[in-house]
Amino acid sequence: MTVRTAPEPVVVDELITETADRLFGELCTHEAVQAAEDSGEAPDIWDAFCETGFDLIAVPEDAGGSGGTLAEAIEVLRLVGYHSAPIPAAENGILGGWLLAEAGLERPDGLVTVIPPRATEGGWSGGGACSVSLDGDGTAVLNGEAHRVPWARSAEAIVCVCECDGRTTVVSVPTSECTITPLPNMAGEPRDSVSFDGATGRAAPTPDGVDAGALAQRGALSRVALMAGAIEKMCQLTVSYTNERVQFGRPVARFQAVQQHLVWAAQDAALVRMAAEVAAREATRGDAPFEIAAAKLVANQAAARATKACHQAHGAMGMTQEYPLHHFSRRLWSWRKEYGSDAHWSAVLGEMATGVGADGLYPLITSGTAALG
Amino acid sequence: MSVSSETPAATADGVTSTLTPDDIRAALDGLLERRTDQTRLTSMGAGSDDLDDGRAYLAATVDGGWHVPTWPSNHGGRDASVAENQLIGSVLREYVVPDLYPFAIGLGMVGPALLAHGTEEQQDRWLRPIASGAEIWCQMFSEPEAGSDLANVALSAAEDGDVWRLDGQKTWTSRAMWSKWAICLARTDPDQPKHKGLTMFVIAMDAPGVDVRPLRQMNNDAHFSEVFVDGAVVPDAWRVGDVGEGWRVAMTILSHERAGAGSRGGGDGAKRGSRIPTWIADLAALGALDDPIGTDAARRDEAMSIYAADMASRWTAQRAADEARSGGSPGPAGSGAKLRTVSSYKRRAYLANRSAGAAGMLEDGHGYIETVTAPSMSIRGGTDEIQRNILGERVLGLPGEPRLDRDVPWRESRRGLL
Ligand SMILES: Cc1cc2nc3c(=O)[nH]c(=O)nc-3n(C[C@H](O)[C@H](O)[C@H](O)COP(=O)(O)OP(=O)(O)OC[C@H]3O[C@@H](n4cnc5c(N)ncnc54)[C@H](O)[C@@H]3O)c2cc1C
Repeated sequence: MTVRTAPEPVVVDELITETADRLFGELCTHEAVQAAEDSGEAPDIWDAFCETGFDLIAVPEDAGGSGGTLAEAIEVLRLVGYHSAPIPAAENGILGGWLLAEAGLERPDGLVTVIPPRATEGGWSGGGACSVSLDGDGTAVLNGEAHRVPWARSAEAIVCVCECDGRTTVVSVPTSECTITPLPNMAGEPRDSVSFDGATGRAAPTPDGVDAGALAQRGALSRVALMAGAIEKMCQLTVSYTNERVQFGRPVARFQAVQQHLVWAAQDAALVRMAAEVAAREATRGDAPFEIAAAKLVANQAAARATKACHQAHGAMGMTQEYPLHHFSRRLWSWRKEYGSDAHWSAVLGEMATGVGADGLYPLITSGTAALG
Repeated sequence: MSVSSETPAATADGVTSTLTPDDIRAALDGLLERRTDQTRLTSMGAGSDDLDDGRAYLAATVDGGWHVPTWPSNHGGRDASVAENQLIGSVLREYVVPDLYPFAIGLGMVGPALLAHGTEEQQDRWLRPIASGAEIWCQMFSEPEAGSDLANVALSAAEDGDVWRLDGQKTWTSRAMWSKWAICLARTDPDQPKHKGLTMFVIAMDAPGVDVRPLRQMNNDAHFSEVFVDGAVVPDAWRVGDVGEGWRVAMTILSHERAGAGSRGGGDGAKRGSRIPTWIADLAALGALDDPIGTDAARRDEAMSIYAADMASRWTAQRAADEARSGGSPGPAGSGAKLRTVSSYKRRAYLANRSAGAAGMLEDGHGYIETVTAPSMSIRGGTDEIQRNILGERVLGLPGEPRLDRDVPWRESRRGLL
């Protein structure tokens, strides 16, 4: 029998949590979040965010980033979700920033966004398609379309991973080369259509392990973190509202029917936060395909349940724009579909489970990715 | 196709009426468009501010009494029996009947309530403009402190000679900004226990002292409003039911609302002879039901499960509606109907949106407006929890929640003595 040494603990500096929480708490007021829906942009919040260096957290310092671990970046994203901060924190840092750094491509001065990989889009949903051709000196030429690109309208460059001439390649295209059609997701966050008509950008091959699959996992992890924060906040709003709202002479939270909604929401908040933390910890240590797949599936399902429960417990108040519940529920409905639906990650998990066979199932559940060998 | 829809209808007393489906078609063909596979309608007004389609449809059908057939013929109906009404309803499904959301309070709730509780003069004044779409109504029941606990309404009506003066605030009043009239629940005697001191009034929305302030909803509609009432005058002739009988009238109205009884129309758009509802056709067109084995299998299961529940629900609702039309009020059966309709709406919305894959996240994605409207369905018209309380207490006879304020003067229960 082999004795495994305990892995290094992954610790997130408390200062990060405090700073991000305070920053967003001050800036992401109900009014500011609502106002960001019109243009899809919140430059004041973005600038303040950049001043803290959080915009490039977990991007190595030698690649122009702020350093720090993936787990720390994920903690910041949890707080982005918790405060419904209307900014492309994930795209700019641990997705786009990561791809550029891995490929050794230069970071533009402004914001960077990413085209989500097709694998997670669902077969018939029409994700758009584009072709990329390379010429010898690292120039890429793009033709075609990409759909639902977060904050493309605000970005300096759009980054994607593709297979070119048999090599996995990262391409970075300045948005000045593209035509962008602004489109909102359910929460008014930009998910723009981008068309490329001979757009030229820079291309570089990636090291092993950096490919569309890896981007899909990071993307999913980023959404899980956002969702963990949003569910937690939604749940807190609901507990406090139902304790204040009086009907039939008592706070509605005293009705067991309402308490059951609260318990569902609280369970879901705890579940998703735990899933996010475990997945972030494992992904910080190394590969974590099992933990991430499980976390996104858990988060998707929890989002459906918790939004239902929280809206129902609020009554009509939760349906108004004036009251903030919808900032969280509409984001959750959108994020749930991004970087892999329930069906997508269920299929991925199913393949892992059948792949390890009957004897491997229990180790897979208890040890996660490590059991995949 | 059921046999009854092709044969003449039996009247209430068992005598076969002469009305046949072809008679009805002959009358409607000149008035309405036939439905096609392409017919799509908004649902409960979500995402639309269109009044014209509904108004044109009602104006076209009012002379024949086709939309509210059981209403008296002098008030926009045609004195139809339950069976005739059913027959007309099934033939109407072959035509384009718009989403009648803007008109639903008048057609579905106030009309039946006036027929049950209104004076002849009131029926003369208000019923026909409801049936013709000329006048829109809203329902001023809910208040900031009276949601589920509707009997807690505080808006007061004080008698002043042969008029009443109303003061207070309503909220969540859907359609208020389109309305000419409101049916308004008010407190006339604060010294009575909360259910007893209430009276129902009709209030003119353009009267001095009535101020409508629309609220925006999370689906971006501004279909409900706060309504501030400051000394608005209502003639005693506009009181519906006796003083102190407001709760009973409110219950009639709410049971009609829940059963969705009088407000037909806006069906699923399926063409005559087509058995496939449009929501399923739309899923199929999206390619979401293609593969019987892969991931589509789960969607096919869900779609068929919703379809089966819908059929059971439609027949049950029809039975409840028939009871309502034959004079009674749908009573607690309406609560069951509402729970089923809401559940189906939500399941269809989420299935449609899920089936759109990642594109479903967009504001113009398939099932978007339904998805962001769905949470309100189990709240408006009385929450699911309240419907279940009603079923538990009134159908199953289970013990009720302790209601300490039932026999205490409202004035005192309000002060938090309980
Ligand atoms: C889109 C929309 C349109 C509307 N249109 C109108 C309109 O035109 N006219 C009008 O008068 N009103 C309208 N309403 C108001 C609607 O009738 C109320 O929202 C509804 O009755 C619930 O009241 P509330 O919102 O105050 O929720 P609350 O009563 O505050 O309920 C909050 C939560 O507590 C639960 N709860 C409360 N009491 C109990 C209990 N005894 N047992 C178990 N659970 C309980 C509720 O089920 C809910 O989950 C509309 C509402 C919506 C959302």
